[in-house]
Amino acid sequence: MKSPRSSVGGHGSGNDVRVVPMGLFDDYDSGGFFDEVFEADGTVRPHYRSLVKRFAELTPEELARRVRLRDESFRTQGITFTVYGEDEGVERTFPMDLFPRVIPSDEWSTIRAGLAQRVTALNSFLEDLYVGERAVLRDGLVPNWLITSSTGFRREAFGVPVPGNARCLVSGSDLVRDSDGTYRVLEDNLRNPSGISYVLENRASMTRVFPGAFGDLSVCSVSHYGSMLLDALRHVAPPAAGDDPTVVVLTPGVYNSAYFEHVFLARQMGVELVEGRDLVVDEHVVSMRTTRGLQRVDVIYRRIDDDFLDPVVFNPQSSLGVPGLMAAARAGNVTVANAVGNGVADDKAVYAYVPELIRYYLGEEPILPNVDTYLLWDTDQRAAVLERLDEVVVKPVAESGGYGICIGPAASDEELEIVRKRIVADPRNYIAQEIVGLSRHPTLSNDRFVGRHIDLRPFVLTGEQVEVVPGGLTRVALREGSLVVNSSQGGGSKDTWVLSAGDEDDDEVEG
Amino acid sequence: MLARHAESLFWTGRYIERAESTARMLDVTYHGLLEASQHEAEPAWRELLSVLRLDREFVARGGGASAASVGSFLVLDEENGGSIISAVERARDNVRSVRELVPTELWEALNTFYLDLRSRNLRRDLEQQPYDLYQMVKQRCQLIAGVANETMPREDGWRFLQVGWMLERAEMSCRLLEVRYASHETSIDFHHWQSTLRSASALQAYRKTHRSSQDPSDVVGFLLLSRTFPRSVLFSLRRAEVELSRLRGADAPMTRPERLLGRLRADLEYTDVRDISISGLHGFLDRLQHSVRQVAEAVALQYFRNSQELALTALDFRPPG
Repeated sequence: MKSPRSSVGGHGSGNDVRVVPMGLFDDYDSGGFFDEVFEADGTVRPHYRSLVKRFAELTPEELARRVRLRDESFRTQGITFTVYGEDEGVERTFPMDLFPRVIPSDEWSTIRAGLAQRVTALNSFLEDLYVGERAVLRDGLVPNWLITSSTGFRREAFGVPVPGNARCLVSGSDLVRDSDGTYRVLEDNLRNPSGISYVLENRASMTRVFPGAFGDLSVCSVSHYGSMLLDALRHVAPPAAGDDPTVVVLTPGVYNSAYFEHVFLARQMGVELVEGRDLVVDEHVVSMRTTRGLQRVDVIYRRIDDDFLDPVVFNPQSSLGVPGLMAAARAGNVTVANAVGNGVADDKAVYAYVPELIRYYLGEEPILPNVDTYLLWDTDQRAAVLERLDEVVVKPVAESGGYGICIGPAASDEELEIVRKRIVADPRNYIAQEIVGLSRHPTLSNDRFVGRHIDLRPFVLTGEQVEVVPGGLTRVALREGSLVVNSSQGGGSKDTWVLSAGDEDDDEVEG
Repeated sequence: MLARHAESLFWTGRYIERAESTARMLDVTYHGLLEASQHEAEPAWRELLSVLRLDREFVARGGGASAASVGSFLVLDEENGGSIISAVERARDNVRSVRELVPTELWEALNTFYLDLRSRNLRRDLEQQPYDLYQMVKQRCQLIAGVANETMPREDGWRFLQVGWMLERAEMSCRLLEVRYASHETSIDFHHWQSTLRSASALQAYRKTHRSSQDPSDVVGFLLLSRTFPRSVLFSLRRAEVELSRLRGADAPMTRPERLLGRLRADLEYTDVRDISISGLHGFLDRLQHSVRQVAEAVALQYFRNSQELALTALDFRPPG
């Protein structure tokens, strides 16, 4: 080791921060995009200085050693995901990039306040819609037909209570940064957002691989997620459950691609991981079958989609669900989280109304802006978009995971023509958005750093209060130039370090 | 614990023991027949199938019973639920569904065993080196037993695994005796009994107890009633009984499976092997297996399917077919 690790080097006022870092950053090119680490003139942003210095000093051998450490750590933790259609028994490790993404505390305060505001409004909206007076429709804020035509809308959820305005108990909105570095909400995930297990496991790996780097910065811990989630779930228990409600995680089973996460969450909370066949409903009371007989269940954190939850009211072919569950929930004997029918609020055509919903329910201005969105059912907006299909992104309103997206500039004339036809045939089913440049972040690729586009999925819990987990899943588009970060589309991830206020690297050096 | 998890562990134990015992029975039959003529061999293989209660399935496939046809039926036939490959696959599926409850090493031992079986050319192994193949199956099952023993906490999960394992072993040890008895009814030569003992890994232990006794009832007595040999029927039932009693709270009343098993175990303990004539052995073993199955059914009723749930599933809304 040549450099003394104990020094606070790298960001003392005496250092010339404009020196282009060496080694792994040779030839690094931010490509005209907003870069998370480097300013436009190549200066390292203050909150990244210590990390850049550490990486610049790494020898190839040392780097290889850390890569090995990471892979080993992921294998021993058993963090794998199954790829559908591959040989059974084959499980892959999830690719985590070694360079963490850092979010300074002032930026985080904005994100936190913005997400809490957004989720509160969305919860109020869903509450109004399903158990309230539907004031939002009466007042004409959102057209009635738009709600009832949403594929996520569930008439069966009318009158099904969730205590504490917490229909979105866990939500995960995707944030992107545009070319100015402004954080914008790209979409909301209010049904079954997944990925929190990677947030926790990435952090566990980083503390093994780069323990020293944490010492340079004051990084907020994410390890208490399990107890945060359990607290929130216990908070929404039906009043009759008393002081010690029984919480379970409901999974579709081992063949689900997110099963690892279901196991992980049940373990973190110390509750049972059940399948539909473990639960029975009798007299509108849900119980699980144990070796000591039936045990009453009060809160179900379900990771099964609405359609498969209860064959009595939804898909009658489903054997994953629990017959009678909706009736028990309606009777107020069990709370289902996230609530049934939340999909109506993350419908991308309804997403466009969220800023209005925030104003309507909270009387506040939205803190985090949306991405500019065009509603294609609207004749004028549709006409304008069809004129410039090659400049915008077109998305189906109900898909997640990056499926069905058409990125105008990258699409061929034939593809654009297909999209045009689809829009004309079913305009309600599509939206168009302006293309967001998506900020980039240095990402390790064959022994050097290259710029790759990233986004951020923070997780928001609604319990006694609305809380944002200080961190999140930073997803990376591993292919050069790609704007699609979804894991199902070949994405990777980064550990996300939120710096706590007061402690961070704030010795301003103007570049 | 969840009833489904308990049931999965119970069946994991059963299937691993089934794979191991099936390998042992194939081994003893195969080697016992090496010097036999064709017309002796065919009935012996048929008898093995009937002892395993798989004779009807085999007949449905057509073709004669030979070392090759019965061997492949019992080792690698995936259509046959009683084959070794099926048993290992089912054990693996069961552990997979409770992966969060079992030590990683246990899952890995079983998964590797399964993947190894899948990647081998089992048909060629059967033709060229059946001994090695059966040896490998036995050793891998013993490895899994050892890993479970060294890594699982002595909690309910362990107990259900053991109860399933030991009830299956009790039944299969009866069958091992049946194979020998049936295939050499007319000429019970002591070297055949020796190979039975060897296939149960019991020859050394037998010699220590009975020296050079060549009395078949000593062999039967040893495999049925030994209090010290881990594969004897009595020993297996006693282990199952201990684990069953630990599943129940100390103050709770005795459960039905415990009562059935306790009675069965006591009956065996008070049995004098001289009272079982070799000609009456078949009926004795049959009754014994029947009683073991009743215990297993009582375990299922007690722990895996409680009465309230039974009442609910009895309401079948779907038309048949």
